[in-house]
Amino acid sequence: MSAQASARDSIEPLALLWALVAVVLVLSALPLARLVLEAVAPGGAWSMQALRSVLANPTTWTATQHSLVTALGGTALATVIGVVVAVAVSLTDIRARNAFVFCFVAPLLLAPQVVALAWLSLFGPSSTLLKMAGLAPPLGQRNPLYSAGGIMLLLGVQYAPLVFLTLRAGLRSMPQEMIEAALAGGARPLRVLRTIVLPLMTPPLLAGVALCFVSCLGNFGIPAVLGIPGNYLVLPTLIYQRLAGLGPSALSEVAVLSILIGVIALAGIVAQDALLRRRDFRTVSSTATARAFELGRWRVPVEVVLWTLAALVLVSPLLALVLTSLVPAVGVALTAASATLDNYRFVLFEHAAARRAFANSFGLSLAAALAIVLIAVPLAYFLVWRRTRALRVVALFTEIPYAIPGVVLAIAAILVFLKPLPLVGISLYNTIWIILFCYLGRFLILGLRPVASGYHQLDRTLEEAAQIAGARLLRRLRTVIAPLVAPAAAAGALLIFLTAFNELTVSALLWSTGSETLGVVFFSFQQGGDSQYAAALGVLTIAVSFALMLSTLSFARRLPRGVLPWRD
Amino acid sequence: MVSRSRRGMLLLACVLAGMSAVGFAQAPSGKLVLYTSQPERDAAQTVAAFRKAYPNVEVDVFRSGTTEVMGKLAAEFAAGQPRPDVLLLADAATMETLKKEGRLMPYPQAKVDGIEPSAIDPDRTYFGSKLITTGIAVNTAAKNRPTSWADLAKPEYKGQIAMPSPLYSGAAAIMLGTMTERPDLGWTYFEKLKAGDAVAVRGNGAVVTAVANGEKAYGVLVDFMAFNAKAKGSPIDFIFPAEGNPAVTEPVAILKTAQNPAAAKAFVDFILSDDGQKLAAAMGYIPARASVGMPSWYPAGTKIKLMPTDIANVVKDNNANLKRFAQIFGN
Repeated sequence: MSAQASARDSIEPLALLWALVAVVLVLSALPLARLVLEAVAPGGAWSMQALRSVLANPTTWTATQHSLVTALGGTALATVIGVVVAVAVSLTDIRARNAFVFCFVAPLLLAPQVVALAWLSLFGPSSTLLKMAGLAPPLGQRNPLYSAGGIMLLLGVQYAPLVFLTLRAGLRSMPQEMIEAALAGGARPLRVLRTIVLPLMTPPLLAGVALCFVSCLGNFGIPAVLGIPGNYLVLPTLIYQRLAGLGPSALSEVAVLSILIGVIALAGIVAQDALLRRRDFRTVSSTATARAFELGRWRVPVEVVLWTLAALVLVSPLLALVLTSLVPAVGVALTAASATLDNYRFVLFEHAAARRAFANSFGLSLAAALAIVLIAVPLAYFLVWRRTRALRVVALFTEIPYAIPGVVLAIAAILVFLKPLPLVGISLYNTIWIILFCYLGRFLILGLRPVASGYHQLDRTLEEAAQIAGARLLRRLRTVIAPLVAPAAAAGALLIFLTAFNELTVSALLWSTGSETLGVVFFSFQQGGDSQYAAALGVLTIAVSFALMLSTLSFARRLPRGVLPWRD
Repeated sequence: MVSRSRRGMLLLACVLAGMSAVGFAQAPSGKLVLYTSQPERDAAQTVAAFRKAYPNVEVDVFRSGTTEVMGKLAAEFAAGQPRPDVLLLADAATMETLKKEGRLMPYPQAKVDGIEPSAIDPDRTYFGSKLITTGIAVNTAAKNRPTSWADLAKPEYKGQIAMPSPLYSGAAAIMLGTMTERPDLGWTYFEKLKAGDAVAVRGNGAVVTAVANGEKAYGVLVDFMAFNAKAKGSPIDFIFPAEGNPAVTEPVAILKTAQNPAAAKAFVDFILSDDGQKLAAAMGYIPARASVGMPSWYPAGTKIKLMPTDIANVVKDNNANLKRFAQIFGN
């Protein structure tokens, strides 16, 4: 009997492990392998020509250098903002925390190119806001955001919520007793922060920073809007240019450049893993909810600073978007006479694709978020608690689909899925499923990182107790492990949902009639010069997302504690 | 009397039935896959009008920027199974490249009489469907009004010009190829523009937004986008420069691998037909068939001066041109 049970207990993990390996390989490694093949053997014949010509081109190295500079700068800024906000929100007694978290996370909902355009119009001569205030700069003045600094600023603002969300999930399990003990022992709050909180928070912080770095590296929208006019080329924009170039060699060169991005992303990840492995970060989870730091007379100033930040990162771009959506055509000054809801009417009622896009993007993002969490929870269990070595290499593959530009991932997916699948004879191509496949591969890392950092912080004793009591792995996963990592998993799911909801670059190549996404429709409007329609769609997207976020509050009580970042 | 007329009616009915039977036998049906870089609204209108003429054909359209369309197509070629039957893309240079790779199917029976001859490939593999010229867009609040391309290089325009990057836009690549071949402009012209802090943005959509917004006072822009924005009330004007306008023809072509060549041919015929051409004019384009009339913005009684383009040369020099442009405008 007991021998049978133990045999089953060793088969079950093994089966699960191999199933996970298979899933990750299909989602991440298969498209990448096909891409590498295209780089070294275009059309089936071995050729190193693309490799040589790309690596010998000085433009490649300029763009690489620019990519590194902007990604590091953007990550640094995002980290500073994310850490300050997470600590203030989680450990101090500021008021209206939930509303603030809401506003701070929301910019993730805005597609990067929307944010970039909103900021441009905010500071540009046509700024409706500045015009109304009579402060608009003269026509033709060069916008200061068209620069490396502008790219870093917007990347930092865009991705600060990544650092914030992963760190906040970590701070939820921060043992308050340790902080209280230190404070009681006479340590100043900043010292407690430096010597206790931040060291203990290393796993989620590094997870956030790593995600942020890879996001900045792969971002196309912001350098496309700010870098192209400033003639500041980064790798994703260079890849886009190569794609537009004529001739059959374009694809192999694009593949080589993408591999270059993948290598940089992996270097960052390996460095992060090395940092994490040196120490032990596990604590026994805590139930205390008291705010550790009472700000006292500093409370109001801190609140003012935080809300100014929120206003800057969300309200002002949003306001710019709202104002643009209310004018009949680009460049018309907004007055009581010129204001119109026509753009909303067009987007909602005349443009069938826009309505479909809402449904599609919602379904795709939700499906991706749920499926990825289901993969990430057991996967990270093996990675972090069981320290399965082979899996660590496999897990590295999950970074690359997120780091390379979406358009390249889409090309890889076309190469893999154009022909009907062997055995079943169905083709995913030209259906919504190929978009979902790409989302799963691309956003897997957004779920895996926060969940893995959750495991890093948790002690295994509870699970071991359950094991001794005879609970097998699947049961332990369901009843013991999942509730423990739920906050981290929810942070991951939220990141995935918000990111996928506005995603453009993957679906731009893979959509078909009936499977349009919001990003595709938005991009189409913008490209045709109809920015006012694009603005109306952007405003609606945010309104819908806000409504969704608010609706989660209605069933929040039934979720494990700490799952929703905007609820205490 | 009665019976004779009844017999006549019967005969007529038979003839009609026979005609419609013949008509049905020849009428293309099934699914047609179209890849196009037309703006969203225009693509939708074109497809709707085509379906009205050929109700039995289902049209599956993929519309995106030139970069995305070409990227998708390149991947499909590499995987050995291109999907589209017809392409409707911005410029002839792209079509010429596809033709050289042996991707296009000749359609010698296409009804091209009355169509501007220079827009048609002599081998009948692609057919220009309209004329999209590039000129100078001006924000109505701008201080100066340039009259020529050369004006834009003058010091008073410094820092105020946006143009579509030829690295992203097919029409802009043709403009670059056309202008750099001219002795009065040439590469020195682009070097001067760069010295005057002109910026190259991603496509014409970005230019019209920048100029209408007043972010830039002047823009190098395609005609229809400027006039369509103006018609909606944007503070923008369009100037035909003295040296002439470079132009693209937005050709339509059938792929050799087309699954539904009958429907593809019908699509080409429709685009070149009076109805298709009238539709183009109604959407604000200069049609390739002059007899259907001009778009409403067209300066009545005048003829737009075009800059002649040697497509073969543009294709040959394209990659070198783009590289040189990137070097001038890159850091």
